[in-house]
Amino acid sequence: MTDERVRVVIVDDHPMVAQGIRAILETYPDLEVAGTLSNGREAIDRVVELDPDVMLLDLNMPQVNGLAATELILERRPDTRILILSMHDSPEYVSTALRHGAMGYVLKDVPTEEVKTAIDTVMRGERYLCTGASACIAPRAPGGREPLTSREQTILLELAQGRSNKEVALALDISVRTVETHRKNIKRKLGIASTAGLTRYALEHGVLQGTGR
Amino acid sequence: MGDGGTALRRLSYGQKVFLLASLPLIVAMAVLAILVTQEAREVSEREIAGLEEQLLSAKRAELRNYLHIARTAFGPIYNNALPDDARAKTRVAQILAAMTYGTEGFFFVYDYDGRNIVSPRQTWLIEKNWAGLRDSEGTPVVDRLIQLARQGAGYHEYVWPKPSTGREARIMAAVIGLQDWRWVVGTGVFVDDVLASVAAARAESEARVTRTFLYIGLVTAASVLLVFASGMVLNLHERRLADAKLKALTQRIFETQEEERGRVARELHDSISQLLVGVRYTLELARRRFGGGDARAGDSLNEGIDALSGAMREVRRISHDLRPGVLDDLGLGPALQSLSEEFARRTGVEVAFETVPFRNRLDGEAKIALYRIAQEALTNIERHSGATRVQMLVRGTKSGAVLRIQDNGRGLPDAGRSGSGLGLRNMAERVERLDGTLRILSSAGGTVIEAQVPLTHMLPPTGRREGVA
Repeated sequence: MTDERVRVVIVDDHPMVAQGIRAILETYPDLEVAGTLSNGREAIDRVVELDPDVMLLDLNMPQVNGLAATELILERRPDTRILILSMHDSPEYVSTALRHGAMGYVLKDVPTEEVKTAIDTVMRGERYLCTGASACIAPRAPGGREPLTSREQTILLELAQGRSNKEVALALDISVRTVETHRKNIKRKLGIASTAGLTRYALEHGVLQGTGR
Repeated sequence: MGDGGTALRRLSYGQKVFLLASLPLIVAMAVLAILVTQEAREVSEREIAGLEEQLLSAKRAELRNYLHIARTAFGPIYNNALPDDARAKTRVAQILAAMTYGTEGFFFVYDYDGRNIVSPRQTWLIEKNWAGLRDSEGTPVVDRLIQLARQGAGYHEYVWPKPSTGREARIMAAVIGLQDWRWVVGTGVFVDDVLASVAAARAESEARVTRTFLYIGLVTAASVLLVFASGMVLNLHERRLADAKLKALTQRIFETQEEERGRVARELHDSISQLLVGVRYTLELARRRFGGGDARAGDSLNEGIDALSGAMREVRRISHDLRPGVLDDLGLGPALQSLSEEFARRTGVEVAFETVPFRNRLDGEAKIALYRIAQEALTNIERHSGATRVQMLVRGTKSGAVLRIQDNGRGLPDAGRSGSGLGLRNMAERVERLDGTLRILSSAGGTVIEAQVPLTHMLPPTGRREGVA
């Protein structure tokens, strides 16, 4: 490795914010900003090409929001460390972001030093949760079963309609192994052993019916 | 399209009601009219037949009398005469020829061969043979009279010219036979007056039937008109009520909107603007201190940055109050989770929240409706119920999504009564707009509110596309 600097990509649909963060991060000699993107769609499409160590993702973005993008980015490049940047301090956001695979969650109104701290923390392989806001102290899953992620929900619908792993993989443009992993997680979260059970569950909870019309 | 559809449906409903009210009436009246006229016709037909028979038998009795008189008049001569007594025959013929009566009445005599012997009012017939004579309708006249006379006596009806006018008319003739002389002696009366009275009676009865028909028709038309008019009045009344309701609703919407705008404007002005003004002052101060080489310039900058953070928090609070972002970003479950936690923190009421592992499966309308219902329910619980525990549940079923909120408070003051509180009405209206159902169960042991929205408000799966909002 000739360059020991941490490659960072910033994804935010507000140019002022993206440029602001970029300007601040560029003042740190051990960071290299590899690019700024303006939406989740771009982030998914260009993650392999830009090859970032850390991706700063805004939560509210048009087209694909930060949460959904996180899952899809990780499907393409699993060792990307994703840090969610958000205005929302509700604990639901934090726990949802972590469940979707983010390594950290940073509030936008904290001092910018904290962003650097967050990047350093996730580069060490640890989680970073925002300080200050009560939400960040003890994020946990809402009552009931552990919720499915957006991707898992999509895949449950596909499977419940009787499609095979291979068909789902083809339709969603991911590998069969990824589908298999999702399927295992879905079954674990719902406490269901068989695919027929998944279909029945989807029917009984009005998930499949919504596919009509 | 939708408007036209509902208008059409409403119109056809009105028509249905109108038809339902008036069709049986019309049918009943029609059946009644047919029955009445049939009955009336039968009765009058019987009466007319009776009248005709009566009149005709009176005519026959009259004829019998005339013949009896004639027989008495020539009886002594005929009884004492021989079959070929020409003198006696002449005398009898003279007697009969002299016995005319009324304007048309006369006696006639034919012999059995058909030769006329006596015809005082139509003398051109005399001494001629009329065997085989038929009247204008083809009825045999003289032959039949001879036949009847041979049998002794009888009546015959045919058409004959009236002596007074020469015009043809129906005549009834009675004959007796003088078998020794092979003579037919008879007389006739014209029965056209009988026919005229029968026709008049028939016309009278027809007129009666027509009148009855007309009366029934008039009554029917009046009834239908009444039904129609009352329907119109009802409809108008209903529409006026609906209009008034709509007006009130619109008014309420405007008021709420204005109130909300006022509140947001005040919040923006009172908190955000003031905070930003403060930021501006500190930043200006920092600039002046930089210019003057004052070492406290950095402190001023820090103050400004802190104040800016405060402004951001304020914006977040206001925007959250207006509409919780969680609802749009994460879905109903997390939004309700957040709501119930905040509620528990503020009020100390224990809240157990349960949801399904699915996210964001409801469309925007349904999400906000169920969220506002939960908000309203929690507000009611806090203000009125005295509850210490709340259970909130949101889940999907085969028929849609269900939100259930149960507390252990003292229940609603007058549950089931209409107009039970603006809050409950708001809930009901919200659910109604989504074609859903709202159920409220209340007892001394607590309240259960259950709102259900149909499957049509569940989003189709994002499926093949990667975008998951």
